[in-house]
Amino acid sequence: MFDILDMGASGLTAQRTRLDTIAENLANVYTTHNAKGEKEAFKRRFVVLGSGRADDKAKAGVHVQQIKLDPAPPIPKYEPGNPDADANGYVNYPNIDMSIEYINALEASRAYEANVTMMEVSKSMINASLRLIA
Amino acid sequence: MFERLLNQTNAPVLERMLKFTAARQKLLAENVVNISTPGYKQKDLSLEKFQGMLRERIEQRDHGGLGSTSFDDLEAQLENPQRGMLFHDGSNRSMEQLMTDQAKNALMHNFVIELLRKQFQTMEMALKDRPV
Amino acid sequence: MIDGINSLASGAGIGGASAPKSTAPAGGTNFSDMLSKSIDEVSRLQQDASQAVDNITTGKSEDVDGVMTAVEKSDLAFKTLLAIRAKLMDAYEEIKGMPI
Repeated sequence: MFDILDMGASGLTAQRTRLDTIAENLANVYTTHNAKGEKEAFKRRFVVLGSGRADDKAKAGVHVQQIKLDPAPPIPKYEPGNPDADANGYVNYPNIDMSIEYINALEASRAYEANVTMMEVSKSMINASLRLIA
Repeated sequence: MFERLLNQTNAPVLERMLKFTAARQKLLAENVVNISTPGYKQKDLSLEKFQGMLRERIEQRDHGGLGSTSFDDLEAQLENPQRGMLFHDGSNRSMEQLMTDQAKNALMHNFVIELLRKQFQTMEMALKDRPV
Repeated sequence: MIDGINSLASGAGIGGASAPKSTAPAGGTNFSDMLSKSIDEVSRLQQDASQAVDNITTGKSEDVDGVMTAVEKSDLAFKTLLAIRAKLMDAYEEIKGMPI
């Protein structure tokens, strides 16, 4: 019952996951080594959302289908003095544009707020129909 | 005699549901409090399973004689729900889902209280012989 | 009780005054039929409401507003019936107290 609230909750979880990946991208803007310590620029992550709830795809809602790595190539910058430079003096930096990440973060947080508002409205509608027999 | 009089109505079913929602509210609050506790397994009472049990007992009551079935022994089972995203420590906490479950549970609780109140009001009206 | 009043009226020859209330227009229903049908209807509304409440508590249906309106309708019908009953009792007391 009150399925609409579960729908809203799935939206909230999806938007929060988006914000989490954006935060991770922003934290790793200049990361040139991967977790194993090898020289590999951080690959930007982005979230793929699918419709249908995580626990039951037939129910209305949204879920995170997967968190994909951006296949775009890293950006080489000419820094011959840097110990990470390759033979030609270029260092590979992650292909993360901070302004794009900020705008995505704004969008995700607005969507989060919209979901919360929708749930509040639904709750007050249900409460109003409870007052019908009060 | 008075118990049987009250059992003719929806009152026993609604009362069991009230006990269920009250117990579930406590568990959900405990889950919220322990959201950052490492290794904590979330506890929940399944609403669907409890409603199934209620349904069976109502069927029994409808097919049996008057006053033959009681609802007093219906208890919901504690379980650890497995849905949701898993974190590395094996927990599936999601603040949004917990708050939503709490909101739904509270709405159900208020709803059942209103229905129960209406039920008792109707009976009082019939006894008093005057429209209240 | 209504039949009693009818017979009282016709027996005392007041037929003319009470005729519009107790005798039926051609092919229509009289008051006692209407009253017993109303009682059946109230009982039916109450059973519908009870069934709706059972359905929603056990999760068979999700129609919250339907349950609310069914409960309210049965409540209003019951209150109406009680009001009619009160009026009939008052009318009976009044007629009982009439000096003949």
